[in-house]
Amino acid sequence: MIRFLLNRFGQSIILLFIVTVITFFLINLAPGGPTGVMRMDASPDERQAVIERLGLDQPVIVRYFEWVGNAVTGDLGTSFNSSEAVVERIAERLPYTMELTVFTIIFSVIAGIILGVISALKRGKAADHVINFSSVIGLSVPSFWLGLMLILLFSVELGWLPSSGVGPRGADFDFGGWMAHLAMPVLILSTTVLPNIVRFTRSSMLEVISQNYIRTARSKGAKEFVVLYVHALRNAMIPIISIIGVLIPRLLSGAVITEAIFGWTGIGTLIIEAANGRDYPLIMGITVVITLVVIISNLLVDIIYSQVDPRVKNMA
Amino acid sequence: MNKKWWVFLSAALMALFLAACSYGGEEEAEGEATASSEEAVSGGKVSIPIVADPTFNPWHPSAYAESNVINRVIFDGLTKPGKDLVPAPDLAESWETSEDGLTWTFQLRDDVTWHDGEPFTSEDVVFTFNDITLNEELGANSASYFGQVESVEADGDYTVMFNLSSPVAALPAYLSFNTEIIPEHIFQGEDPWDLTSFNKENPVGTGPFKLKSYTSGQSVVLERNEEYFGDAANLDEVEYKILPDANTHVAQLLSGELSIFALDDTSAVERIESADGVDVDGRDTNRFFWLIVNQQEERFQDVKVRQAMEHALDRQNIIDTVLQGYGTIADAGITPALSEYYTDDVKQYPFDPEEAKKLLAEAGWEDTNGDGFVDKDGENFEIIFDIGIQGDLEAIAQLVQQYLIDVGLDVQLNTMDWNTMIDKVVIQRDYAMTLNWWRYPPDPDLKAYMHSDFAEQGNNIPAYQNEEMDKLLDAGAETSDVEERKEIYTEAQKLMAEELPYMFLWYPQEVQVKRSDIDGVPELAFGDTLHYIQEWYMAE
Repeated sequence: MIRFLLNRFGQSIILLFIVTVITFFLINLAPGGPTGVMRMDASPDERQAVIERLGLDQPVIVRYFEWVGNAVTGDLGTSFNSSEAVVERIAERLPYTMELTVFTIIFSVIAGIILGVISALKRGKAADHVINFSSVIGLSVPSFWLGLMLILLFSVELGWLPSSGVGPRGADFDFGGWMAHLAMPVLILSTTVLPNIVRFTRSSMLEVISQNYIRTARSKGAKEFVVLYVHALRNAMIPIISIIGVLIPRLLSGAVITEAIFGWTGIGTLIIEAANGRDYPLIMGITVVITLVVIISNLLVDIIYSQVDPRVKNMA
Repeated sequence: MNKKWWVFLSAALMALFLAACSYGGEEEAEGEATASSEEAVSGGKVSIPIVADPTFNPWHPSAYAESNVINRVIFDGLTKPGKDLVPAPDLAESWETSEDGLTWTFQLRDDVTWHDGEPFTSEDVVFTFNDITLNEELGANSASYFGQVESVEADGDYTVMFNLSSPVAALPAYLSFNTEIIPEHIFQGEDPWDLTSFNKENPVGTGPFKLKSYTSGQSVVLERNEEYFGDAANLDEVEYKILPDANTHVAQLLSGELSIFALDDTSAVERIESADGVDVDGRDTNRFFWLIVNQQEERFQDVKVRQAMEHALDRQNIIDTVLQGYGTIADAGITPALSEYYTDDVKQYPFDPEEAKKLLAEAGWEDTNGDGFVDKDGENFEIIFDIGIQGDLEAIAQLVQQYLIDVGLDVQLNTMDWNTMIDKVVIQRDYAMTLNWWRYPPDPDLKAYMHSDFAEQGNNIPAYQNEEMDKLLDAGAETSDVEERKEIYTEAQKLMAEELPYMFLWYPQEVQVKRSDIDGVPELAFGDTLHYIQEWYMAE
């Protein structure tokens, strides 16, 4: 296990390095520049002053190594457009994105497994078709459109749910308001992963219930409920856990659109702001943090996986 | 879980979908609130959308539109846009210029305190301009308007003098446009851009509202400043919601979660107009849309080519279809909003493709090989048309492209993101044709946009050069006598229309959307009404 972790740690460092190099050079070579430089009515003198101030008159390579030098000490620099520390800006927003994604995963896993099991058991029947059809719709309908439709329906027309924001926090916090604010963003974000979980559960379940040990369990006279949820589902879970690991990056990218639509104060809205304003240090900082989140969550999934399936542990 | 249950569920889902899709705002009419005659009452809150985190410092190079709408409420300038668009008193009570026009003297109010209780004095003004605006290393926003200001000095606590290198008649107008005064007692000795405790957390201004709370990515809430030097505001609070997506703005307006803003994308106008409880008004602004060609290229230096393009466009049709009618055809750069200076007694270019073709032929461009495109010396008139994606620009550009193709110009559209466009077109000047708009302070001084001094770099992006135009623009900029300026700018407008440094398209009206229960909002562009936010109130 230790060797496995060390191995993965080494791979992660290399991956992180490659990601930062590519991102740094891509964004710096893209045309345009930080907001302060790119005001339409700024005079050439104003532009020059901002460029010098931000150190953009230095060659890209020099800037990259300076950035890496600071980054390894945990200093991700200062945002070009707000002059605040990048670490602080991310720390301010990351919890909200985590909140959104964690709730989405919980919702998607529970709903996905239930729907997947139903779909497998009712194979070829109406329920199966409805679930399959909805999965395809969920995967193919763009979430920004679906989000707007939900807002029009639940906020404008019916007035049941707030159309945006994260709800009152701190002293004014109330649980009902929190859930109401979460409802639509979680639903929309889950469309990026829920259909995959449903389909994976379905095929995994179908494979498992045709296995001999299920027939054995049934012939022993075990109750159908026990057969399905103790014997079948537990074994069907193994591939489902691995798909969750694969879906985490997709969830994070889906969060960008979801957060923009619902004014959710997470990393997603920050990325949009950083990219539109060509805020290089902020873009780099977010890239590093998201890369780390993906690496760590994949590592966690691998560890859980090895606990659920002893064969994997032996292989490692 | 039988079959019937599933059929019901899927039917219900479908119904929900259809209900959401067919939404058209056809709610029951609940009796319009006609509140204009009612008394202004204290209390209530308005919500305004912004698209990104703001910077509470009007001079910060990153303070953009989302910051401007807040800063002009927290802070005050020396002047502000008057309800008649002539600069009106704000922190300054009165002002006058010297005989030679080289000094402007402003008398300041003596009853103003900062939000932290410190008194406001001439030292704050002197500091703001000398240490921030005129400090070239800082590259402050709007600094280019003050290029002729050499220094600002105080005479006692409540008088300031602006010393100029050459006369600037528009100075009071420039001082009303995103040039609010910031407190010396906080900024003294600090780096004004790195002072995040002020710029991002705790701004101290003199305006009718002060900061109550700010949550990054979420909202900025302002509360009434009871110590405001004018009449205290009616509203208790002003909330700015940070919502990056423009579609969300419309949805929230309809649901009553947003109160007022200027609609950028007019495609939603019809839906909003048909909704109850929302007013839609067109407001004049100091903006003109233009199509330009790079006059560093020889083929575009022939005025006949530019006149031909102007004749080729059915501008009224674009206004009617893309702008939903919110705009009027422009003949020159001075907008009708500047009613004192505006004239329509200039050369007009009605939609006339035949005239366009004739003018192109006179310039030597004719379709000799019958491929539908005009040519000269065996080369087709090929133009790459660069366009930045923002608001309606792309939709407008597509129509313009079609009209130009119709008269034989081989125009190809090249769309790019806004930031890239600025780099390519405005900074590098590496373009042949583009379309955009200018917004300028309420003064007819258009020197920055058409004077040959700025043809190489600066805002004369079409690189237009004409001695006669330079003379007129110089004279207008230096004369503060209104009657004299009227004559000068009438001449200038005639020359603009004749010469087409820019191919003027239209003066757009801002589409202002507002919940009907908010009253006391002056009939001005949204940005200007914010200078009067203390007068707004909730009707009921």
